Amino acid sequence: MTRQKRSHHRLKRAVAPYLYLSPSLLIIGLLMLLPMVTVIAYSFQNSAVLRRDPSFAGLKHYQAIFVDPVFWASLWHTLYFTCMSVVFHMTIGMVFALMLNSDRINPTLRNILRVLYILPWLFTAVIIAVIWRLLLEPNGVVNSVLMQMGIIGSKVEWFSSPETALHAVTFANIWAGYPLFMVSLLAGLQGIPKDFYEAADIDGAKAYQKLIFITIPQLMPIIISISLLDFIWTMQVFPLIWITTGGGPIYSTEVLSTYTYKLAFSSYNLSQASASAVVILLISLGLTLFYIRYQKAR
Amino acid sequence: MAEVILENICKTYGNNFRAIDQLNLSVEDGEFLILVGPSGCGKSTALRMIAGLEDITSGSLRIGGVDVVDMPPKDRDIAMVFQSYALYPHMTVFENIAFSMRLAGKPKAERKKRVDEIAKTLQLTSLLDSKPANLSGGQRQRVAMGRAMVREPAAFLMDEPLSNLDAKLRVQMRAEITSLQKQLGVTTIYVTHDQIEAMTMGDRVAVLKGGVLQQVDTPKRLYESPVNAFVAGFIGSPSMNLFEATLTGDELMSGTFAIRLQDAAFVRRPGLRSYAGRKVVFGIRPEDLYDSSLESGRKYQTIPAKVTSIEELGSEHIVHLNVDAVRVDSGDPDAVDDFGLASNAVARFEPVSAVHSGSDIRLAVDDAKFHFFDPETHLAI
Repeated sequence: MTRQKRSHHRLKRAVAPYLYLSPSLLIIGLLMLLPMVTVIAYSFQNSAVLRRDPSFAGLKHYQAIFVDPVFWASLWHTLYFTCMSVVFHMTIGMVFALMLNSDRINPTLRNILRVLYILPWLFTAVIIAVIWRLLLEPNGVVNSVLMQMGIIGSKVEWFSSPETALHAVTFANIWAGYPLFMVSLLAGLQGIPKDFYEAADIDGAKAYQKLIFITIPQLMPIIISISLLDFIWTMQVFPLIWITTGGGPIYSTEVLSTYTYKLAFSSYNLSQASASAVVILLISLGLTLFYIRYQKAR
Repeated sequence: MAEVILENICKTYGNNFRAIDQLNLSVEDGEFLILVGPSGCGKSTALRMIAGLEDITSGSLRIGGVDVVDMPPKDRDIAMVFQSYALYPHMTVFENIAFSMRLAGKPKAERKKRVDEIAKTLQLTSLLDSKPANLSGGQRQRVAMGRAMVREPAAFLMDEPLSNLDAKLRVQMRAEITSLQKQLGVTTIYVTHDQIEAMTMGDRVAVLKGGVLQQVDTPKRLYESPVNAFVAGFIGSPSMNLFEATLTGDELMSGTFAIRLQDAAFVRRPGLRSYAGRKVVFGIRPEDLYDSSLESGRKYQTIPAKVTSIEELGSEHIVHLNVDAVRVDSGDPDAVDDFGLASNAVARFEPVSAVHSGSDIRLAVDDAKFHFFDPETHLAI
């Protein structure tokens, strides 16, 4: 082989991986990076999108949202909604996974429960929103059952009352999201060697000690990974809140996603909406970096 | 420390499969008993029943004089070493060893003192802060031993603890476990499918097949006086050669050869005479077959054989042969591996032997070392 041929061959080998990656990189660039950079640019412009030659606004739009009490309320609601959702997704998912993994439950019943427990995962956010609007409306099933049981004295307007609306949407989101944890934790539970529990039985461990000393530490990588992903996804939930409450009443369920949407498509303040979107992006980015670092550390 | 007594122990699973059938076994205080047998013989099931990890269908089990059949594992005063070691990967060596003490609510200082003592005995002191993933196979094995020792149990139960180690380390760990058991003097029941482990480690060896106890004896007696063809074939590596022959007068006739038996053979086994004119199974161990061209083989009778292959091990030659006789299956599934497709006998020759693959030789046979079995029942005559 001549020297020229050899260097040509080497170049081909070096370029080949990038050629294979180029279609996906192109799609990511067009559909993700480009809109992202554009939104960041809008957040520094006056009258973005609406004017052909928008002027540079500096940090004006960021200042505007940071002094807006609705933004801070939205941020607090987002944190409450996300934290409660993640904690309960994990708790319910863990309890159901432990039940489905238990030998004490009849196998047929276990299979039926497995299907029932996974049902919420099959519905789209719109269907879930509609189901819970119907269930929680003043004349809905939930009020009727609670009144019959004597837990409430009069009909509660779950989605229409500022006191209950945020809890109600959080509840609906918890119901919709626990199956991911359940399925992941069940897979993890099934991977824990039986020997660990038998050794613990011989050592005299009680059921709760086996849970604390064996099961949870063994599931910890899954718990952390799924919790972080759930945190990132739940923070950006839009359709469920938009369809059930639309962020109201009186901003009581306003979260960052609905706040941004309203700025963009109700107030047509696309620059300020972009600034708000960038704030969401930065929070998500922080969590994503934390997730990637955790995955690398493993 | 305690004796472990199993009386008429049975284990039947839901599908009516009987894994253990009427197992009677008495393990003395401080004894090292090996449960050995081929895969699926029920040895691990028996051990797990003693540990309380499997229910006992019927029978009685006493540890230290106490009936433990209905007791949970933690109350049986036993410790178990698992085949996989069952070390908790998220705990350090110290935490793994101290786990049972932690569960029992023992104070930190007491835990540390005890773990330090054990770590010193097992040479694990420098590894106490390591996680199991960072240990070698032998070190993990020692940690598993430490976890069992920390409880100061009445009996140790070990389920194939060396099967995950490479051959060289296994030899080393065999010696370590044996000396540790002697040092501690704790009653130990050790399950293995490896008959070399069984022969080298135990005070006594119990051979199981199909859930039925075949023989319990010292390794020497098991080797020299197997009660049936299965034990004869299972104990010893390579396995004993078992052939069918017809006893005619004082001669064993098989195919194209006959071997004259000495009077001593009939004196030692009076029952053998009753097989005159009938078929009988005779067995000979590979080390009792000789190369007739060497000095060591000159004094014995010879039979014709064809060498099919040779494994030169340095200290000896394992010679695979074909002799004109019908081989008898001992019932040991592992024994089949000793024979190639073209061979039906194995011999151990001295390394100076010059036989080569494909050659026809005269095979010297030490007939005084023959074992005889009934062709129907396979019981020793």
